[in-house]
Amino acid sequence: MAPGSLTLSYVKTIGICNNGLNGRGFTNPVDTAVSRDGRIFVLNRCDQARAEAIRVGICTIGEDYLGEFGDGVGDGDTQFRLVAGMAFDSEDRLHIVDEGANRITVFNSQGVFLSKWGSPGIGDGEFNGPSGIAFDSCGDCYISDQHNNRIQKFTWNGEFLTKWGGLGDDSGQLNMPWGIGVDQDDKVYVADWRNDRIQKFSSNGEHIATFGETGQSDGQFSRPSAVALDARGNIYVADWGNERVQVLDPQGNFLLKIRGEATISEWAADFFVANPDEVEVRKIANLTPVLPPRFDTPYQISSQTEPYFWGPVSVKLDGEGRLYVTETNRHRFQVYQID
Amino acid sequence: MGLRDTKLMAHLLRRAGFGATHIELEDYLQKGYEATVESLLYPTDSDHMPEDIIRRYHVDQSELRQYDAAAANWMYRMITSKSPLEEKIALFWHSLFATGYSKLNQARSLLNQIDMFRQNGLGRFDTLLLELSRDPAMIIWLDNDQNHRDAINENYGRELLELFSMGIGNYTEEDIKECARAFTGWTLGNVEYMAMRASKDSIWPYGRIAWHFGYRPEDHDDGEKTFLGETGNFNGEDIIDIISKNDASARFVATRLFQFFAADEIDDEGEKVVEKMMESYFESGYEIRSIIRTLFNSDYFKSGKARYARVKCPVEQVIGTIRLAGSYQKPDLGVNEVASQAFYMGQGLLIPPTVEGWHEGAEWIDSGALVERVNFAANELRKTKESGVRSIIDRMSVQNGHALTPNEIVDLSLDLLGSVDVGENTRTALVQHVREKGDVDLRNTSPGDESERRVGELLSLIASSPEFQMA
Repeated sequence: MAPGSLTLSYVKTIGICNNGLNGRGFTNPVDTAVSRDGRIFVLNRCDQARAEAIRVGICTIGEDYLGEFGDGVGDGDTQFRLVAGMAFDSEDRLHIVDEGANRITVFNSQGVFLSKWGSPGIGDGEFNGPSGIAFDSCGDCYISDQHNNRIQKFTWNGEFLTKWGGLGDDSGQLNMPWGIGVDQDDKVYVADWRNDRIQKFSSNGEHIATFGETGQSDGQFSRPSAVALDARGNIYVADWGNERVQVLDPQGNFLLKIRGEATISEWAADFFVANPDEVEVRKIANLTPVLPPRFDTPYQISSQTEPYFWGPVSVKLDGEGRLYVTETNRHRFQVYQID
Repeated sequence: MGLRDTKLMAHLLRRAGFGATHIELEDYLQKGYEATVESLLYPTDSDHMPEDIIRRYHVDQSELRQYDAAAANWMYRMITSKSPLEEKIALFWHSLFATGYSKLNQARSLLNQIDMFRQNGLGRFDTLLLELSRDPAMIIWLDNDQNHRDAINENYGRELLELFSMGIGNYTEEDIKECARAFTGWTLGNVEYMAMRASKDSIWPYGRIAWHFGYRPEDHDDGEKTFLGETGNFNGEDIIDIISKNDASARFVATRLFQFFAADEIDDEGEKVVEKMMESYFESGYEIRSIIRTLFNSDYFKSGKARYARVKCPVEQVIGTIRLAGSYQKPDLGVNEVASQAFYMGQGLLIPPTVEGWHEGAEWIDSGALVERVNFAANELRKTKESGVRSIIDRMSVQNGHALTPNEIVDLSLDLLGSVDVGENTRTALVQHVREKGDVDLRNTSPGDESERRVGELLSLIASSPEFQMA
């Protein structure tokens, strides 16, 4: 493959809105993570009315729903407040970031609670709304500390190592950072959410590069929420406010964008079997309509266009060259194959 | 600027907005009354809590699947807006063109309707009616999706005339039928799918899909119609033109605006103002902004007669108190409860009881609602750590280098709560309450100190007064 060339082929959509009930399906998911054995873990944030369903659901790429863990809202070891992101470390431990509890909770890949750490504050090792997490090759983790406008670096079990950032829009400064990605050279990429850009740092926080600016054009961003890196160093960005995903090359040049093309998941297909009246009228519906000018923002368009991403909050890659895009508002994730 | 100016400005802001803090009042007073009226009518500061920050925090307000999230979202806007009349006029039209969630199962479309009110609510009445007739939530709410060329449904046509523009007695049953015929074909895009989804509340596979207007010419009755004495091959736009130029519409709009912004009851003097407002309606080409300008600049509105002549609706009570206290300036899960509080007081945003909206005025107050109103306001203003209450305490401590006597602190509190007027009985009771524990010394205090706690208690008592229930 020539450098810079890249295609994303739509594979499938997995998910269904489960309305907070038990069983398969998701409720306002905010992140996915793939375990060593290829299982897909989905983090459900939920609203207050469905807070009992704040948990991690587990499924396969073949759409088998394997179960879930987590015990809803609360302060117990297996409970959560406002979950925001998660990542597996090299030992297949799953670390879940909770911006409401200012806490990181660690589980093994069977969903068994291992440990928790973190507390609110502005000091070293303390958090004010932690959001994103990623691990480097040494096993250390980077956490975006949203309202402290900084990145903090820790050992896997929470020992503080260093920090950087500070509120602002100069190079190296941050404004409510969200997702984090780490490339194969342990460079750290931060979705500098309210500055509409991606910043690249060394593992000690030295600023290396900035990609993007505010806008809707190619290579521009609106509130990017997540970033992921493939083995070639291509940069995948959840361009949350523009309701799309963009891919940049390692130098930050625009490669491509996708707007989403969701189809009916197996679980949704089962729903339609039980609701044949909806299927009949769906056949004559136009689910990608041309909208009146008043609904011309990406957000409004996505609210009325079922196949498009709506709230594409997270991008994650697995070892099989697949891209997972999690959509908070549609209770599903779309899978693409990278070629 | 004297006390009289301050009182008048406070009165204007209670009506054109949700009240004003003492700091906001000072800014408005610098500007002057008429210039303030203009700035309210032509809002240029669109600052409010940013939607992206809300949506990052509140997933339910991002998806807007259900009405409680949508109501909370609107609450944020009202709490933090720097253009209060924009929100107030949206509230006015929501009360008048009352559209409810129960039949829709589609909260986003309701919020889209509110946004339409923001954009058109101060503009031309005919434009507003046109947008209303194209509004997806209204179309489902009043069944215009079932209004077909070969089988009309009169629901929207009837309410357009009776509740939304002219009022009963100004048209015939035949006019209603002709009106309905003219609006055939005005429906939703994908109407079969969307109407079916609105009719049930099952777990849709990927959540809800918002609605947009769709016109079906093949389902429109293009035949000749006679409406209010005029004959032609009318479509909906023509009907709205005929409605808008009718005296009855001018009176209807002027009267409802008067009752919302000036006084619950219209006396003879008020009637003269309504006449002037009707003149403005025609002179301006049906512009709502001009009608309101005439009202706000009238001697009647500025006189003592209009002061405290309206019972605050629950939303005014809740939002006004929160804006004074300074709470909910950042996303907070408690905002859903704020929306619920207005519901407990009798006004659930986006869930009006019927298409007639709420029964307003004195009917807002019954014993149950009064307890809710008083408890809510008292709890908010007791929060001495919130920025609004802190600003009041800070001003008290800066202005006085000595401990405040009961008379001094009561007068200061009334003034700093947005220049509130209370009767002598209320004032005496407040002073007596403070006197029980003596002077209040606010020098070098911090939140939680006894003297600050006493200020919070006094503010709560003022919020519990009968006068605080009035706008």
